[in-house]
Amino acid sequence: MISLTSPVETWAHRWPAGLKLGLMSLATVALFATEDPAILGASAFGVALLYASAGARFARAGARQLWPLWPFLVLIALWHGLSGQVAAGVALTLRLLAAVALANFVTMTTRLSAMIEVAAVLLAPFRRLGLSTRALEISIALVIRFTPAIARKGGLLSEAWRARSRRRPGWQIVMPLAALAIDDADHVADALKARGGVLPIPDTDQKG
Amino acid sequence: MAPVDRPDDLLRLEDLRVAHDGCDVLGPLTLDITARRTGIVGRNGSGKTTLARVVAGLQAPTAGRVTISGIDPAKDRRGALDRVGILFQNPDHQIIFPTVEEEITFGLRQQGRSKAEAAAAVTAILTRFDKLHWRAAATHSLSQGQKQLVCLMAVLVMGPRWIVLDEPFSGLDIATRLQLMRHMARIEARILMISHDPESFAGYDRVIWLEGGALREDGPAAPVLARFTAQMRHWGDADDLSHLAG
Ligand SMILES: Nc1ncnc2c1ncn2[C@@H]1O[C@H](COP(=O)(O)OP(=O)(O)OP(=O)(O)O)[C@@H](O)[C@H]1O
Ligand SMILES: [Mg+2]
Repeated sequence: MISLTSPVETWAHRWPAGLKLGLMSLATVALFATEDPAILGASAFGVALLYASAGARFARAGARQLWPLWPFLVLIALWHGLSGQVAAGVALTLRLLAAVALANFVTMTTRLSAMIEVAAVLLAPFRRLGLSTRALEISIALVIRFTPAIARKGGLLSEAWRARSRRRPGWQIVMPLAALAIDDADHVADALKARGGVLPIPDTDQKG
Repeated sequence: MAPVDRPDDLLRLEDLRVAHDGCDVLGPLTLDITARRTGIVGRNGSGKTTLARVVAGLQAPTAGRVTISGIDPAKDRRGALDRVGILFQNPDHQIIFPTVEEEITFGLRQQGRSKAEAAAAVTAILTRFDKLHWRAAATHSLSQGQKQLVCLMAVLVMGPRWIVLDEPFSGLDIATRLQLMRHMARIEARILMISHDPESFAGYDRVIWLEGGALREDGPAAPVLARFTAQMRHWGDADDLSHLAG
């Protein structure tokens, strides 16, 4: 669901990554500080406006990214509906939707290298203690980069299953998917190694 | 472009052996390579990719020694960065980053270049290949041939003295292959290329033919390729005998 690339260049691409991440963190804390469905509803609407401000193509791509959330939202609605806490259920759903959509907006409009630089800046105190933080910075990049890739592999596996079966795949594809993920990890390890592996890079311009 | 000849541009394999799970897949191999263009041929499973990985330092040999332009590529990873670059058989296994620019920048930053230097080098390599408009393109949206070219640019930009190419043309259409070959012909670095297609070795100095992990032939490109092709035809014909007439 996290996408790193937007189909178009938007105004938000030109904002500094650190600023976007900072504002997103503040907004997320605020979302979790309130229980008022009206405020949460307004926030969700505000996030929708944010997507709309970036153009129709961007908004459509964003909506596609968020679509896989619906089973969770249905589950939450059902649970709260059954236990009679309708207001709490609505609040939780809106909060989740607004927070995830906002995070997705930031990832769609921020280059991975810019994200890594923010991480590098935040980790600077550890570097001053003499620890190499490069491994952590690269790990963050890889998680962001490969989460959608593995999700796509899962989709392909279930298609391969359905092509030869009348029933929907269930737990049976978990093992092959894990094997694929490990295989992918092997390839990435090679690709990293081919270009020097996790080398500490000079600190000179990381703060830029 | 005129080759820059350094006296230590030598790839030396000394009694090299590689085993996977206790099973010998390559060697013993002893070779000195100095040629600008060296081809590696052999049947599927003959150990070509294994040799490429060992030369690039991705894998340490089980026994023996590899020296490339003065260093051991598996031990000295930092030194290996400007000595040898490798193009994987499958570009999807090579691309780490979501955009072309970030993919090409990564290796430069690994070499310790500053952000400004890296950006200038990215512009230079994209310009050289007339692909400046690819800068912000998403790597996953590229075609196979385009991905292959991005990988090649990402390797070239680091300026290695040797480039190892593992079947760079598999899965490419004829026109794309010819374009990529033209780009490769202009590379100043020494090239070690694995391929199944004898025609892709046009202009090559030397060809090494591996069979079952051992050296079967080694010499000037044209005669080795001629015997290799004849032998492959022969093996192919042998299989044809089992086909039913009709
Ligand atoms: N990671 C591994 N584990 C076990 N065996 C391996 C591994 N990698 C390669 N081998 C074996 O080593 C031998 C040589 O493989 P290699 O990939 O080097 O061949 P190749 O000449 O590149 O073949 P192809 O033309 O099919 O690419 C094969 O028998 C293969 O099964
Ligand atoms: Mg191979």
